[in-house]
Amino acid sequence: MTSTLVQPGGDRDGILVVDLERFQGPLDLLLHLIRQQDIDIFDIPISRITQQFLKAIQGVAPENLDHAGEFLEMAATLIRIKAQMLLPRYGEEVDDDPRAELVRRLLEYEQIREVVGILSAAEADRARRFIRGYVPPRPRASGRDQPLESTWEEVFAAALEVRLPDPRDPTHRVTTREVAMEDKITLILSTLESVTRVEFRRLLDPLLGTMHGVMTFLATLELGRRRALRMRQASPFAELWIYRRDPSDDPWPDDAWPDAPGPDGPTNHQPDDPGGIQAQSPTEPQETLQ
Amino acid sequence: MNPAQIVEAVLFASDSPLRPEEISRADESLNEDSVEAALHQLRILYDESERAIQVVEVAEGYQIVTRAEFAPYLERFDSVPRPSRLSGPALETLAIIAYRQPIGRLEVEYIRGVSSAGVIRTLLDRELIEIVGRAEGLGRPLLYGTTRHFLEHFGFRTLDDLPRPEELPVILREPVSILPDEDDEQGGSDPDPSQEEMTLEAG
Repeated sequence: MTSTLVQPGGDRDGILVVDLERFQGPLDLLLHLIRQQDIDIFDIPISRITQQFLKAIQGVAPENLDHAGEFLEMAATLIRIKAQMLLPRYGEEVDDDPRAELVRRLLEYEQIREVVGILSAAEADRARRFIRGYVPPRPRASGRDQPLESTWEEVFAAALEVRLPDPRDPTHRVTTREVAMEDKITLILSTLESVTRVEFRRLLDPLLGTMHGVMTFLATLELGRRRALRMRQASPFAELWIYRRDPSDDPWPDDAWPDAPGPDGPTNHQPDDPGGIQAQSPTEPQETLQ
Repeated sequence: MNPAQIVEAVLFASDSPLRPEEISRADESLNEDSVEAALHQLRILYDESERAIQVVEVAEGYQIVTRAEFAPYLERFDSVPRPSRLSGPALETLAIIAYRQPIGRLEVEYIRGVSSAGVIRTLLDRELIEIVGRAEGLGRPLLYGTTRHFLEHFGFRTLDDLPRPEELPVILREPVSILPDEDDEQGGSDPDPSQEEMTLEAG
């Protein structure tokens, strides 16, 4: 790292002009100040270095608080060390130089910078050797399975997002096996044994889950494919009617379909049937969708 | 077809370095030893016939690459893909992880003196590091280590290609953990009985 330090004569401590953007962090800056002035790292003049460090970070933009905080934290550490060195020490603490940990960190960081140089050279050398159709590693979307490392704030935010079940919701499911389509086929066929037609809605038990509805619908389609029933729906999203289809009636020309039965038609379902919540006025089937 | 030809074909067609035992899967007649012999044969052949390509040992395997002196010609082609270089913070973080693995984010940040969550995420996404476990202690922090792709990116055969700490100009004692309950460090370089004072006397 080249010098960014300007030391006009006269001022003993010098006036430092440091471009902080060029430093990786406070350790980098501190190391720069020390190496720049040929200071013995094992005998750092804490007072002088602290003063220089504080001057250097005066320019840290307050809007970049994270960045500034890292430098300020180091400044606080320096001031604490300075204070400790002024305090008299007794007993076994005499050997403990308050600067020791900082020196260790600085040396460690300097070692890391050394390794960075080695890595950088190796990377450059490797970049000069091309493999056939080398595909550079692309940043992957972080959608991969990864162990979770979350901050408390994230956990708290997630907890607030959790929607508790409505206690009025009469959900009570004891599921021991998957919904079988055969069961639904049996249900439809047995229903059509007693009545000639039925609203699809009436086949659904509102207390059962979505999967039951889906399987009932799939069973209806399957029976339609087997020509065991007919389906009629007046318009999209209107009530779907399921008709019994006797093999003797087959083939049944479309125009020969019986008129849609009215409310007093051959259905044994009453409007207040608990199974059919909205069955008061079934929509009259008027056109065939299939 | 002789073993060298088979090995050459397999290496040529591969996107990433292959270990000898991986190459030997190409044919029943091959085993690790015969693959090693064939690789040796190929390297001599490429050298003697002054080919522009060579067989290099990288990331615990072997790979066919162009010789470095041909880089200026290849770099003229935008269509020749090349690995992107890593940023300063990324290299710094990788250096720490490479030497101190397995290591957690907080220790990386203590050594660097700056927050490193973003750069660690980038390195994970680029598969240069991976999660190798969790530390004991509060929050069971994740521990990171370098990947095989890290070796590939820098052209290292193994992690031993990195200089040992005592070969660096700055000599350090064993890594210090900032985690309170880790007095018993495992790994690290030569344990020294007087490690407490070693730092200050190293100069």
